Amino acid sequence: MRTMLDTSTDPQVGFRPPGKLDVATALDRYRGSFGKRQAAHLARRTGFGPTAAEVAALTELGVDRSVDSLLHPSEPDLDFPAYPDAEKLYDPKVRNGVAKLWWLDRMLRTKHPLVEKMTLFWHGHFATSINKVPANYMAGQIDLFRSQALGNFRTLLSSVSKDPAMLIWLDNRYNVAAHPNENFAREIMELFALGLGNYTEADVKDAARAFTGWTLDKNGAFIYRDQLHDPGIKTFLGRTGPWNGDDVVAIIVEQPIHQRFICRKLLEYFIYSDPEPELTDALAQVYALSGYDLAKTVGTIIRSNLFYSTRAYRALPKSPVEFAMGLMRVMDVRQVPGDIPFWLARMGQDVLAPPSVKGWDGGPTWISTATLLARFNLVNRIVRAVPPKPPAPSAMAVAPSAAASPAPAMTPAAPPPNPNLFAALTPDQIVAQAGGIDAGKVLETIVDGAVQGDVTSDLRQTLLGYLNATNATLPTPFGPENYQERIRGALALVLNLPSNQLD
Amino acid sequence: MATRRIFISRSLGVAVLGGTLPSFFGKAAVADPLPALGSTIDPRNVLVVVQMGGGNDGLNTVVPFSDDAYHRVRPAIGIDQKVVLKIDDRIGLNPVMTGLNELYKEGNLAIVQGVGYPNPNRSHFEATQIWETASPERPVATGWLGRYLDRVIPASTAAPSNATLFTAVTLGDTVPAALIAQHVDVPAIGALNTFQYNVGKDAASKTTANRLYDGAQPGVSPYLDLIQSTARAALHGGEYLRGKIASYQRAVTYPVDPFSQQLALAAQIIGSEVGTRVIFVSIGSFDTHAGQRNQQDRLLGYLSNGLSAFYKDLAAHGNADRTLVLTFSEFGRRVQQNASNGTDHGTAMPLFVLGGKVKGGVYGKHPSLTDLDHGDLKFNVDFRSVYATVLDKWLGRDSSQIIGSSFDPVAFV
Repeated sequence: MRTMLDTSTDPQVGFRPPGKLDVATALDRYRGSFGKRQAAHLARRTGFGPTAAEVAALTELGVDRSVDSLLHPSEPDLDFPAYPDAEKLYDPKVRNGVAKLWWLDRMLRTKHPLVEKMTLFWHGHFATSINKVPANYMAGQIDLFRSQALGNFRTLLSSVSKDPAMLIWLDNRYNVAAHPNENFAREIMELFALGLGNYTEADVKDAARAFTGWTLDKNGAFIYRDQLHDPGIKTFLGRTGPWNGDDVVAIIVEQPIHQRFICRKLLEYFIYSDPEPELTDALAQVYALSGYDLAKTVGTIIRSNLFYSTRAYRALPKSPVEFAMGLMRVMDVRQVPGDIPFWLARMGQDVLAPPSVKGWDGGPTWISTATLLARFNLVNRIVRAVPPKPPAPSAMAVAPSAAASPAPAMTPAAPPPNPNLFAALTPDQIVAQAGGIDAGKVLETIVDGAVQGDVTSDLRQTLLGYLNATNATLPTPFGPENYQERIRGALALVLNLPSNQLD
Repeated sequence: MATRRIFISRSLGVAVLGGTLPSFFGKAAVADPLPALGSTIDPRNVLVVVQMGGGNDGLNTVVPFSDDAYHRVRPAIGIDQKVVLKIDDRIGLNPVMTGLNELYKEGNLAIVQGVGYPNPNRSHFEATQIWETASPERPVATGWLGRYLDRVIPASTAAPSNATLFTAVTLGDTVPAALIAQHVDVPAIGALNTFQYNVGKDAASKTTANRLYDGAQPGVSPYLDLIQSTARAALHGGEYLRGKIASYQRAVTYPVDPFSQQLALAAQIIGSEVGTRVIFVSIGSFDTHAGQRNQQDRLLGYLSNGLSAFYKDLAAHGNADRTLVLTFSEFGRRVQQNASNGTDHGTAMPLFVLGGKVKGGVYGKHPSLTDLDHGDLKFNVDFRSVYATVLDKWLGRDSSQIIGSSFDPVAFV
């Protein structure tokens, strides 16, 4: 009898797009047109918000080569530090913030967006928190996710079972034959691979015995301690033998219910909420036939007819990370400002600190008055922040040439603001692209660059009214005196539109 | 129309926790806006929850000064019996807590001794989750007050409206686990002037933002309705709240520390009747591993002075009798002081309950300082008994549906 996938804890149930799915062709290769909107859709779902240049490059490549380049990047990524600054990583006052910024900065600038997007997926899936696990172990876990982001799930699940951060997070380091600790054994089934209701308490007990002796050595590295392992016979999901942890992993991935469980979660990440069971089944077949190959499975999704259909287009709410990164990338912020982790917490996605081992529920739970206000005001902060002007020359520096020469070192000047922390996109660039200080052309440029034109004509009229100040009490037409401020205001409004909340 | 989390509430029966666990966490939230008929509970009652983050040392808060064992284990950080504010011949309050001492003498402060739960967790994160979700056995997705809210506000309410939006508020930047509900939206009001579309002088930008969301835009995304209606509530809610509370006059001058300022706003919200039933405030840094006396005494001073001002303000506006304050911390601290004149993570601790209708006094037994569990206090009162009392006797909700049955009430209300 077919085991049912229990979806009753999934808050995304009920947010499936309306209309009927054509299952027979849904996962077939997409052969339709691949213009700017399709390319931007692909870039949003597989990365952290596209820049105009990236959209143009993908459009040029076409769908097949775009997907190939995302799944198998040919060039190495930028030279990111393998770990956050080692000194700060062990300073309890700053280490959590340092680790968060270390990762967020990579998301912002990576040339391998899908690898990083899958790294974030695994972080939410194997949700481990820096609030229990020290920052250096968290960094190691993120590296592990990245190195196997699009690899093989069976290998990944085995690696995660031996990952020091996970051994700390779910207490398997204390799981010994004399006193089995069931925490990890339970979650590997409930949350990581099978789903609630698809195993028994007896399975939990025997799986815990299989993982006994998987612990940490005195340097905090994984070690298997034979004398702490229970070598006895276990019965797990109907199979009986002297199983160890890797046997448990092997038995889990063979379960059809596991295959549907993981494929449903990938579909909710890449396509839309609450995917049809038939669609999940179809992808589960691909996944099983590939031998749990994640690149092939994800590749099938992002090459599919369904992925490029109106059913999937803007059908998901942006996660806070997607929203914040997309904002910074559109505004050409080149380094993640230090307050971004706090904004992400306000928006409901404190990276490296998921609310529990269940991770973030996503979907409708991203949307609340508190989180939307945080989104709106992050936009207002990023778009309107301009770097402070360099300090004015001192009264003694009368000649213009004096400004260029080193100032007398009487009072040490404050360090100049780091321009990388501010939006490099300026109103003047937008005017230049629009071809002049013309409200209509400026608005089209903004709407095109920020949300790929996805704005209804009603809303365009409202936005034009703002640029032209036709609604203001003291209307001053859009012009050379006010275009800087108005363009920043309009950019913020466009980035706060409903369509930019959707991915 | 879809509202956040409404759909899970339909089918949660076994779902959230599995068959081996009691179903009350996941039971479909059948909203029931009013307390039971014939109830004598004022439907305008307000609960103010005060989180003391970091793990407050109970033994230096409510001091067992007559116990020789106390002075033996705390040679450097123990509080001399000459200075404690004596409650009776065995216990007294930390000397900085003059405000709470006064409230105790007036009969408005209850002290619940030795509060904890079986198999205590000593991780800040996990212990906080346990206290806020009222689920020591395993993690659950909703908080104890979130589940209360799910029963007060009908799930069919399409979107948060001004009528229900402020039923519960947190006076911080993020919504605590205690207030995570299945379908109820809880505003996070870090400060009154940040709970709005912040654009500085550009007023036209703000009115335009309202216009962009006021008219529902057509679209096929299943999330569009939810985003638009929630955004409308967010954009208009702050204005509504500020308008409602503008005429409130504080009856006292509050201390300037951030915690007291949160309480000042809480009193203003309570006094302006925007339908608020639950307010969450917090004060942190109780994690006193080193140099405890200075740090904890300063924090307890903020707590006591802030609550004292708050109570006077409430009383002057006739709101003290419909407000109940409950403090909690994720754990108490180790009985024995450590080598840095601090204390490490421990277990049980005292809670305070404050209000005009509170039956002042000391409830529960002070845990023994010699009969310990791995160097930590053994609890006498399960924290869920305290929650059950508040839910049943103060908020008028059947606590068994929210935290499970069979928790004996504590007689403080």
